[in-house]
Amino acid sequence: MKGAAALLGALRERGVDTVFGYPGGAIMPVYDALIDSGIRHVLVRHEQAAAFAADGYARVSGRPGVCIATSGPGATNLVTGIANAYLDSVPLIAITGQVATPMMGTDAFQEVDIFGITLPIVKHSFIVRRIEDLPRIIHEAWNIASSGRPGPVLIDLPKNIAAGDAHGATPLVEPQPPAAQVSAVLLDRAAALIAAAERPVIYAGGGIGIGGALRAFREFVAATRIPVISTLKGLGAVPTDEPLFLGMMGMHGTRASNSAVQDSDLLIAVGARFDDRATGKLNGFAPRARIIHLDIDSAEIGKLRHADVALAGDLSASLAALHVRPNIDAWRRHCLELKLQHAWRYDAPGEGIYAPDLLRRLSGASDGELTLTCDVGQHQMWVAQHCLIRSPERHLTSGGLGAMGYGLPAAIGAHYADPTRTAVSVSGDGSIMINIQELATLRRYGLPVKILLIDNRSLGMVRQWQELFFDRRFSEVDLSDNPDFTEVARSFGVDALRIDARGQIGEAIDALLNHPGALLVHCLIDPAANVWPLVPPGHTNATMLEGAMT
Amino acid sequence: MTRVIELRLARAEGAIVRAIALIERRGFTVTGITTRNDAGSDAMVLRLEVATEDRSYDVLIRQIQKLFDVRSALLLESQPADARAAC
Repeated sequence: MKGAAALLGALRERGVDTVFGYPGGAIMPVYDALIDSGIRHVLVRHEQAAAFAADGYARVSGRPGVCIATSGPGATNLVTGIANAYLDSVPLIAITGQVATPMMGTDAFQEVDIFGITLPIVKHSFIVRRIEDLPRIIHEAWNIASSGRPGPVLIDLPKNIAAGDAHGATPLVEPQPPAAQVSAVLLDRAAALIAAAERPVIYAGGGIGIGGALRAFREFVAATRIPVISTLKGLGAVPTDEPLFLGMMGMHGTRASNSAVQDSDLLIAVGARFDDRATGKLNGFAPRARIIHLDIDSAEIGKLRHADVALAGDLSASLAALHVRPNIDAWRRHCLELKLQHAWRYDAPGEGIYAPDLLRRLSGASDGELTLTCDVGQHQMWVAQHCLIRSPERHLTSGGLGAMGYGLPAAIGAHYADPTRTAVSVSGDGSIMINIQELATLRRYGLPVKILLIDNRSLGMVRQWQELFFDRRFSEVDLSDNPDFTEVARSFGVDALRIDARGQIGEAIDALLNHPGALLVHCLIDPAANVWPLVPPGHTNATMLEGAMT
Repeated sequence: MTRVIELRLARAEGAIVRAIALIERRGFTVTGITTRNDAGSDAMVLRLEVATEDRSYDVLIRQIQKLFDVRSALLLESQPADARAAC
């Protein structure tokens, strides 16, 4: 058996049936072996899209996604996708071709040190030096990627190893035991803090979904009846229409959530990492709150904010031990009044399309059953603020890295992970151009992925910041020379329609939900539209700017 | 402030550079390194003199401990330069 066949066989043994990639010189033995492997290969049109698609696949399926690229430029094109998976804790296996081992270190054609390049953005990485190590390395890579706090693992595969004959295999190393459970003493201490709290808030992060703790978290909320706020990646930890949910926190969070956190006397952080976009100015964040911090990753606890009680370990087990209902009727009532008082409004003036209203109506019409993938910018924040999100795996967003171009390939991966659920990529006219070549992938495989392209003819979020914080000195944000996106889509064989008036929203939503194949809805909005509210940079979350709806 | 960190690492490709790069990336300065084989095992021992102005050593140790090739990471008491040289 060749090394490449051993590699793919080891992936098959772990249940891998779909991989995303792009062939090239050094990875050719693997592509040869793919023909007989029984593994479906999805040919994307740029390696970055392969990594993003594998990321989307992983987030929806809960299993590692696999992407493949050749050496040199193929490998470096994966880097953004690997970094995205690292910052958002997504289990990913990235396999790169490499020049043959005798050529390594000689600056050979298409040789780069991808092992070295990716060291800071992988959970672990391997260079395969011996053919017989391949099954063991796949086994270890799989376990590392998916255990504890998940993350990406890189496997750099020299061409002679892939093309060589395997004789035997080194023994597999069994995975590390699951994380130790939290001590009863610490849990008792946390329970006592909850019981004594007068103004507690639950701060839900992305670790809840990633850690498979959704059920335990919802039981915890139901048992304690403590108001919940979330990070961008924590959206869906409870359905966003849950009465106790006050909204997303942070820079573009709701007034209710930010106010509640700032006034809280106890913050229960669950699978969250006190990211700067969520906390604002850190030393003014929740200034009177004691902190209970639950996380599978002990290195996150105390990294940015001291934890009064550190519960490092499995979230589900810890949450189950904290079913304490504090006497907080007045506080809960206050929080719900804040939520009502600052509820979103959708009565924007004029007849143009108000993007938040379109997004609210789209997700509502599907009863939150869509898989929404986002690019990065204003539309990403509008999705987070206004869409009905029932669980984290239905909202795929580049949270930590903030990578424009994520949405369309992530939707492709999401479709393969769950073809029964419609994937809608919400994008902007800046972001869509980063990976627009993936329209060809939709066409090639007949994927019924939908794209809602919200077009303000500018790099909207940068333009908004230049307007607010750079004295309206607009620099390189004008995109009024965009192509005709409907014609671009059609040239790829993807159906398209354009809307620019409020009266067309119903028609667009119907098309997005019911069109049988791929569809791009090109939605023109007011270029001056901004995302509100906004915590200005360098301020605490107590300072929230508001502006007009346009 | 400068402290000494002792790491036991698997003798695996990239293990040393991965550990040192992490320390620097997390806002610490590596001001000295000594290494030795851990006799009778497949590990090697690194003693690193590490400085920072404002970062937490405890958090750094937990970040290092997450690395797959790290068998152990200990924060040692500060020691005189002679003792470090003898490592």
